[in-house]
Amino acid sequence: MESSASFPILLSLRVAGLALLFVGPIGLAVALLQARFRYRLRGLVDALVLLPLVLPPSVVGYCLVVVFGRRGLVGRMLEEGIGLRLVFSPAGAALASAVVALPILVKTAQPSIEAVPSQLEDVARTLGLRPWEVILRVTLPLAWRGVLAALVLGFARAIGEFGATLMLAGNIPGRTNTMPVEIFSAFQEGDDARAGLYVAVLSAISVVVVLVAGLLGPREGRATA
Amino acid sequence: MSGAPALEVDLRITVGRGAAAFSVEARFSLPSGVLVLFGSSGAGKTVTLRAIAGLLRPARGSVQLAGEALFDWMRGVCVPAERRRIGYVPQDQALFPHLDVLGNVVFGLPRAERKKPGAATLALLDELGLTALREARVDALSGGERQRVALARALAAEPRLLLLDEPLSALDRPSRLAIGRSLREALARRSLPAVLVTHDAEEAAAFGDVFVRFERGKPAREMPREVVLGEGAPCPHCGKP
Repeated sequence: MESSASFPILLSLRVAGLALLFVGPIGLAVALLQARFRYRLRGLVDALVLLPLVLPPSVVGYCLVVVFGRRGLVGRMLEEGIGLRLVFSPAGAALASAVVALPILVKTAQPSIEAVPSQLEDVARTLGLRPWEVILRVTLPLAWRGVLAALVLGFARAIGEFGATLMLAGNIPGRTNTMPVEIFSAFQEGDDARAGLYVAVLSAISVVVVLVAGLLGPREGRATA
Repeated sequence: MSGAPALEVDLRITVGRGAAAFSVEARFSLPSGVLVLFGSSGAGKTVTLRAIAGLLRPARGSVQLAGEALFDWMRGVCVPAERRRIGYVPQDQALFPHLDVLGNVVFGLPRAERKKPGAATLALLDELGLTALREARVDALSGGERQRVALARALAAEPRLLLLDEPLSALDRPSRLAIGRSLREALARRSLPAVLVTHDAEEAAAFGDVFVRFERGKPAREMPREVVLGEGAPCPHCGKP
């Protein structure tokens, strides 16, 4: 099946969007947890969150296949339970992207949450707000720059994911050929024009992301307290 | 009015971990009026205040507000801070920087009341001289104005007890007198009991009905006014007044 040139672009945007929808709330919850609580397994959680950043993408992909593959424990449950097959599917590509986006999400959001004086959250509680209301009305409004930067960087990391995606979702034209995967195929086929198109698109997205994240970064002389 | 004292505290609080850990013991009772926690910094006054507010969990003991147990280690009672209805004005006021003066004052009120402030809120703004400042950014306020906003924010939520951590110590003398007067009037008008932390003897004398002295490493206990403030009491070493 011959897929149109725009298919990988749209697929990549969909996959990264889906990944962010899934990992965004999880990443923010982990960032809040790590920023605000001192608990016994805090160091372990910190290490687990960082792991996808350090592990080679092929290792992440392999682990995902073992867990979420057709013979994996979770993979079998998902397939038999709700008919969701992750292997060789866009959903699998989204899962791989979500996993590799988690570290940058947590590590970008966490310092901005830590910078919110906990005294403000304390006062909010004495004024009758439940902990989740404190998060919505104090913590997130004050940490929004860092949280938004985290989401933007997470999106960029998700849209650029190659190794783990290839392992879990494969490279099926018209189904799982995201831009990074497509660049690799085109390069192997010697189709420089096709590879160049996606290289340009991904580069443009990255430049925009870096600029936006820079604008959202900590401002000189801006009091946080 | 019930016979129970406004506030009864009997607490042992452990702060920090390992070598840096220290513990605070405090036992006192306030029939009504203002209780002053007096002593040098680092003696556990703020920690005690935070424990009464429910912002940290004591190692053991009890806190009772008008006869109701807010914390009782023996019975496993610990009412969360948001259900205690205890107003808290921390030392740096902790105003919400993303909200204007009015937004800060109505912060603890129900949504409808936050969108359109009612008569009670407007009266409170007027009472504390904040009407003209209601749309001001909080980082543009003076120290005295910040203290008024923090006080209004706590009072708006109609607390049963007010906790004040060094409310006047960062102010210059004129605003100290003005804020002190507003504070005393606000408490008296509402018959609102309060706990006030200070290291300043003059401030303690001006506000206190009951005095508790904090010293590092010693249990905090109620003391007669003269002993706490060193007023007219004979010097323990030479016997002179």
